[in-house]
Amino acid sequence: MSPALFRLLSRHRRGAVLASALLVAFLSLTLQARQDSAPATFAKRALLMTVAPFIKATAWVGGGARTVWREYVDLRGVQGENRRLRGDLQALQQRLEGLQEMAQENRRLQAVLEMPGPPAGRRVVARVIGKDATNWFRTLLIDRGSTDGLERSIPVLNPQGLVGRVVEVAPIVARIQLITDPMSSVGALIQRTRITGIAAGDGGANLRLRYLPLMTDVAVGDRVITSGMGGVFPKGIPLGTVVAVERRSGALFQEAVLDPAADLSRVEEVTALLPLANGAAALEGNGDGRDRPR
Amino acid sequence: MTPIGFLLALVGVCVVQGAAGARLTVAGVQPDLFLILAVGASLGAAPEAAAVMGFLAGIYQDALSGAPLGLRAFTLTLMAFGAARVGRELEASRPAAQFALLLGGAALAGAITLATLSFFFGSPPLLATLLRVIVPETFLTAALGTALLGAARLWRVARKAAA
Repeated sequence: MSPALFRLLSRHRRGAVLASALLVAFLSLTLQARQDSAPATFAKRALLMTVAPFIKATAWVGGGARTVWREYVDLRGVQGENRRLRGDLQALQQRLEGLQEMAQENRRLQAVLEMPGPPAGRRVVARVIGKDATNWFRTLLIDRGSTDGLERSIPVLNPQGLVGRVVEVAPIVARIQLITDPMSSVGALIQRTRITGIAAGDGGANLRLRYLPLMTDVAVGDRVITSGMGGVFPKGIPLGTVVAVERRSGALFQEAVLDPAADLSRVEEVTALLPLANGAAALEGNGDGRDRPR
Repeated sequence: MTPIGFLLALVGVCVVQGAAGARLTVAGVQPDLFLILAVGASLGAAPEAAAVMGFLAGIYQDALSGAPLGLRAFTLTLMAFGAARVGRELEASRPAAQFALLLGGAALAGAITLATLSFFFGSPPLLATLLRVIVPETFLTAALGTALLGAARLWRVARKAAA
């Protein structure tokens, strides 16, 4: 650096530092807006890895403390709960027998129709260790990463329904974009009428089911599942229930508001559906753009 | 604040906001601890140091969220630089004035983030973003920031008295 330039920068140090910081942020945003996000993804992963061990350790200690407290509290009402659970178990066993019968029937019918079954990839159970650090996006941090086989775009669910998809992967942690994130959209199907639409996050607690033809039958209480279109999410995962239908005058489509099947404000454990080794390409596919990560 | 002190505070904020952010929420909205850190650390600092601290706080907030890298870094760099300029006034003012200044600052940070997001990635729904994100976050962050500034002032007074 020439002495003249050095003197100039020293004289305008404040402005130079401010401009440099703003320029770096601006360039990073420009790269990501132009889809050339590899350097930004790498930088984000590196930054995440510097604090992820601390977050993981804190979540582990907090989880342990909560478990101890919960177990202590639970001990007090455990007998009554035990009786109730035995009753529930009996009812569930009866229901399970019925479902097993139906599953067998389903397999037989699928074989008859030569339909492909649900994806049988490996499942990885992960614990939620963090929430999005801003109020602008809806994402979660989980304690599994690329060392456990996680990749981008892998669907994530819990027993109630679809939670979201993996959007960032570091070696020991990964970030899930929730289905309610404003940048998320999922191919959806109304179970009763078989009408397809796109379930997009509204940034709040609900989803909006878009592009439903005006004359189609959509009613409050309809259950909505993933349509399987777009190749990211397997078909048939519960998405939510219609709680309102909106028809605006002059609009080409009607919209429905969905209450997500999974309680996304209280997710603690999730399951990631890993692709089969030879089915990885199918999961990566994004042909019609319906299942769209940011 | 020393550089080491700031880095330790940054790691602390990352852990608290990342691992315990869900427990800090009020009606689904969490206070912006990164903004409070960037502004709080910048109050007694030189503007160029404040810009660096704001940038670091923002870039880590981006890394711990679904935000594109640079979104909050851009915002917090500007906010920290501004806070260093008005630092003495903010520190010396009464709690009500501090709350008003922090309220304005948090609202400005929300507006800068919204403008940056709209410029690069398309505009999110304005009314929903205002009602669900910017307004509640602004009030929550200003209230917590004022409380923390008050606590810091009490801590300094107690240390002086002890000395």
